[in-house]
Amino acid sequence: MLTIAFILAGLLLAVAQTTVLMPAPVWIAAPDLYYVLAAYAAYQFSFCRGFLIILPVSCVMDVYSGAVVGMYPAICGCGWLLLKFMAVKMPVRKSFYQIPLAGASYLFVCWLTVLLLDALHPEAGISWSWPPMLFRVGLLCLAAVPLFRFFHFIENRLRGRFLFLRAKQSVADGNQFRQDRGGLE
Amino acid sequence: MSRNSRNRRQKDDGSGGFRIVLLGGTALTFLLIFLVFIFGSQEFGPMYKLLLDVVGPLQKGAVKAVSPFHSFKEKYLDLLTVREEKERLLEELQKCRNAAYANRGAVALNAKLRKLLDFKESSGLPTVTARIVGKDPSLWFRSVIIDRGLSDGVDKGMPVVSGEGIVGQVYAASANYAKVLLAIAPSSAIDVLLQDSRARGILKGTGGSTYRLEYVLKTVEVAKGDHVVTAGYGGIFPPGLPVGIVSEVTRNRRGMFLEIEVTPAADFSTLENLLVIEQKAKEFRQPAGIP
Repeated sequence: MLTIAFILAGLLLAVAQTTVLMPAPVWIAAPDLYYVLAAYAAYQFSFCRGFLIILPVSCVMDVYSGAVVGMYPAICGCGWLLLKFMAVKMPVRKSFYQIPLAGASYLFVCWLTVLLLDALHPEAGISWSWPPMLFRVGLLCLAAVPLFRFFHFIENRLRGRFLFLRAKQSVADGNQFRQDRGGLE
Repeated sequence: MSRNSRNRRQKDDGSGGFRIVLLGGTALTFLLIFLVFIFGSQEFGPMYKLLLDVVGPLQKGAVKAVSPFHSFKEKYLDLLTVREEKERLLEELQKCRNAAYANRGAVALNAKLRKLLDFKESSGLPTVTARIVGKDPSLWFRSVIIDRGLSDGVDKGMPVVSGEGIVGQVYAASANYAKVLLAIAPSSAIDVLLQDSRARGILKGTGGSTYRLEYVLKTVEVAKGDHVVTAGYGGIFPPGLPVGIVSEVTRNRRGMFLEIEVTPAADFSTLENLLVIEQKAKEFRQPAGIP
């Protein structure tokens, strides 16, 4: 259920990124929301679950965008693996560090992608430019703050933490009720 | 004493009778005047006119004296309702603004659709109207998704235009949707002609909002404002379609070719509706006049 919910959330993000957040074809201020999901999956989910989430989402992005097939799965996969490795090996767990790390990994993965595409598909005419890339990194970091919270919310709901809390509270209410009755008697 | 009182009573009786006669006479006179006025000629006589001139200024003065109080009262009452009136007017203004905004949008859309229709009618080419449903958010590619696909006759390689000029070509198509690679994409290359000099060149996208015209020899006279049209050599685009206008020409000391920047004829920042020309590559015949 959690996996399906996050796949659906990822699809919604991909749709939003290619429609609502893109008022014109030459618009550059559209944050890469799919990568935020990939980063969250790397930080929070197991290897299998993360892979199951990012694969369909990145494939959909590949359909919506780009002219080189497989580019988005490669970007997502690389970023996810990189962050997964860092999350496991480095003592950086808190969300305060997670978001800048996601931005840095995005920049690195994009640079790697441009390098590879330039070598393998020179006809694509892809070139590296720092100002728009840094701008996109900034946007990604900004978008990651509310999205991480949103993902946490979904995860907590689906993992039944709220349910557990409610159950605990209802038990407490019951005890109180009994105490009150006891007092009356 | 009793005599005095008897005399006074007699005197009182006499004056009482006179009063009754006087009252009755006055009443009769008024009745007579009333009857004369009612059943008379109903004319506003000289007496009345004189009277009106005399009492008229009194009325005028009274009205003049009261009018400041009246206007003050009116102003006070207006003040009491001014808040409601203001809110109502603001609401009305907002409605009018919304309506004006919607009208402006409708007018702009109408103009765009008219251009598309004009192009469709003037070109004589079989076309399919399509609407953009998605845009490529990446920095390296420029493409859009349109709501027409193989089932509508749209296929890979077909040229796509707007009312102003060329937009790109179909890169991939599914049953109901197609992906269009825009002419401003860095991977796009189109055979074009400079309309005045008939010099040929390759138009490449820059990824931004301009094109770069390459392989135009330095010997060719190119000026700012020259029109660029499709050459039709590659067989993808029909010849003579507007592409853009030369916005900058740079002559470097080294190299054989000019560096030319072209502003697109189509406004890529406001693309909404497109026309897909339903002809595949190599179907366009070269007109005799074009070299």
